[in-house]
Amino acid sequence: MAVSALNATHEAVDARYNDVDPVYAQTRDIRLTGFVLALGADCVLFSSFIFAYLYLRTSAPAWPPFVDGHQLPRLDTSFAALNSIVLFGSGVTMHYALENWKHLKKAAFNGWLIATIVLGALFLLGQAHEYLSAAMTWQGSSFGASFFTLTGMHGFHVFIGVIYLITLFIQANRGVYTGSKYFGLTAGTLYWHFVDVIWVFLFFLFYLW
Amino acid sequence: MHAATTVHADHVHDHIHPAPEGFIRKYVFSTDHKVIAFQYFFVGLFFLFISGSFALLIRLQLFDPAGKFLSFDTYDSMFTMHGTVGVWLVVIPLVTGALGNFIMPLQIGARDVAFPWLNMLSFWLFPVAGLILFSSFFFMTPHAGWTEYPPISLSYGVGTALWCAAIICIGISSTLTGLNFTMTVVKLRAPGMTWTRMPLFTWATFATALVNMIATVALSAALLALFLAVVFNVPFFDPARGGAPVLYQHMFWFYSHPAVYIFILPAFGVISEVLPTFTRRPIFGYKVIAFSSLAIAILGFAVWAHHMFPSGISPWLQLPFMIITYAIGVPTGLKVFSWLATLWGGRIRFTTSMLYALGFLIAFTFGGITGIFLAAVPADLHEHGSYFVVGHFHYVVAGGAVLGFLAAVTYWFPKATGRMLNERLGKLGFWLFMIGLTGTFLPMHWLGLEGMPRRYASYTYFAATHPDAVFWNRVETFSAFFMAASIALLTINVVWSLWRGRVAGRNPWGARTLEWTIDSPPPYYNFKKIPIVFGRPYDYTEPLPYQNLDHDVDPYPAPTAASFPLPAPAGAG
Repeated sequence: MAVSALNATHEAVDARYNDVDPVYAQTRDIRLTGFVLALGADCVLFSSFIFAYLYLRTSAPAWPPFVDGHQLPRLDTSFAALNSIVLFGSGVTMHYALENWKHLKKAAFNGWLIATIVLGALFLLGQAHEYLSAAMTWQGSSFGASFFTLTGMHGFHVFIGVIYLITLFIQANRGVYTGSKYFGLTAGTLYWHFVDVIWVFLFFLFYLW
Repeated sequence: MHAATTVHADHVHDHIHPAPEGFIRKYVFSTDHKVIAFQYFFVGLFFLFISGSFALLIRLQLFDPAGKFLSFDTYDSMFTMHGTVGVWLVVIPLVTGALGNFIMPLQIGARDVAFPWLNMLSFWLFPVAGLILFSSFFFMTPHAGWTEYPPISLSYGVGTALWCAAIICIGISSTLTGLNFTMTVVKLRAPGMTWTRMPLFTWATFATALVNMIATVALSAALLALFLAVVFNVPFFDPARGGAPVLYQHMFWFYSHPAVYIFILPAFGVISEVLPTFTRRPIFGYKVIAFSSLAIAILGFAVWAHHMFPSGISPWLQLPFMIITYAIGVPTGLKVFSWLATLWGGRIRFTTSMLYALGFLIAFTFGGITGIFLAAVPADLHEHGSYFVVGHFHYVVAGGAVLGFLAAVTYWFPKATGRMLNERLGKLGFWLFMIGLTGTFLPMHWLGLEGMPRRYASYTYFAATHPDAVFWNRVETFSAFFMAASIALLTINVVWSLWRGRVAGRNPWGARTLEWTIDSPPPYYNFKKIPIVFGRPYDYTEPLPYQNLDHDVDPYPAPTAASFPLPAPAGAG
């Protein structure tokens, strides 16, 4: 199970320190599992809207649909692919940030975390560019409704994630996380990977299909 | 309050937090699950009065076929608000927030839920949702019924938007509670309490929490889509721009069918605790009852489209939904037979709580059977949108969830407050409720079969062809006031007993689950030393399966004479 594997990682890191606190270890275990369940519940939110999109798309006579007698163009896959690389790259940098933290390399951790924040912000800029240059509107068609709602919800999650990571950066440098007590960083990493994984599905559903 | 002490440091469980000081921390923004349960209870009861008043107004309107009591517009908003408040602000908070919060942590031997702060947040979202919903009276009330189907709901913009905001708010509260309870049951059970040693109410709460956590998010998604459609004119449900109104029904019922199991599963758990205590017999089929809760919770996700048979879904979808709906009858029926088998040959003591539990068995079984009628596609096409559905639904909610809730209140009141409820007032309340329930909802079944449509503010045309409709509607209106009287009596009983009730002691009923081994009301920390569990709590001939070091407990608890005003029947065992 993914959760027990994460807990095993925690325990492996605990072994490197002599500040292991059983109360912290137990609450960390509960909080980690709870956080994973919360992300699972968040998945249901996306799944519901993905269901709505599939329902509308499969019941439409043509896709992309016709608005005022003209068929809407397909979305710009090449730009979105570039933007996706930015987001997936931020997942990689986040991974290295946490790994460096676990190995007590504070400077490298800071560098990788800042890179993650910058890449996340870049993704949001790319998304904004795509919204402004889109050939359809939120209100105009079922395509626009599904596209702007789903990617907007995802973008909102990325936005929250960027703020979350900035908070973590400040907290880590103020000494909130010490030694083996860094649950916040694990949670932030999990959240960031979760946002990445959602984008995999959205990229396939809107750009590749 | 008791002094906070750290008893042992060898186990994490044995760390006791100090009790909070000051009125605000203790009673308003409290993180103690017992205080939060009381908060849910009183706020839920307040909304019950409001929802009940709306129901009485609806019944007064239908007293006369012409419907002159309210304007048709007011009537529409009344039945909408009655359903909305009843489902989201009364039943779900009462059975999960009040009962689950109070009982479940005590039954598993925990000091609190897994995330006490989150629990407080869940509670405070609940009155906020109520405020948002009732603020619609100042602008425009929602009119489209508690399901708010588009396109009708789209024409009441502000009302629908406020309705969506309120229900999303209470939905987030439910999701967080579900998450919290799931984690509590998974992680905080006392040492030795394996899954098959858990009390049955805890099993039911666990199954409910899973449904709450997963399904309620889907509801939030459906209402978010409706909110966007109303406020930003996003065409999810507009056929002219490629949307589909039926899509809303799919999204809504994917939650709202599991939601009826959120109502009823805690009541199942309550009945499974009350019956063995008052028959002095082990529960029949422990594992069947425990796992059928899970089966119901899982199957409940695969039946939503049976609410949509007349909505134009394809016939190849109707058949599987009909069959899976029938399949849910199997675990439910297994439970009912297990309860009947528990009663068989027991020394039944007719306390108020037991009466409510027996009333539940009758009313819920009846409501469940009419549900099987409704699951059949051909029958449903006739019954859908008629009073038959209203009768079925209220038999399951008022006769199932509410009777189960009343059984729980009368059963756990001594534990929660340290005082006994008045049995005489309680029994009077029970009979008033049963008469009211039968008189109000039973005639709806044949009126519905005759074709009386639901949600109409006036039934002049129906009464012209069916003269008996006037008589039965008047019976329903009179009977509704019996139920109102019963709830009023319960309130009086609660207030009077808090003030003058007999002191209950630790275990007035001779029950065997863990919460009855500690003081009434329980101390802030619940258990000074976390107990160790050796077995299931239902074997009345065995000593208690707990090692509880807080104080000496009777290993063979028997009901105290003071709590049973009637003599136990001789030779019944």
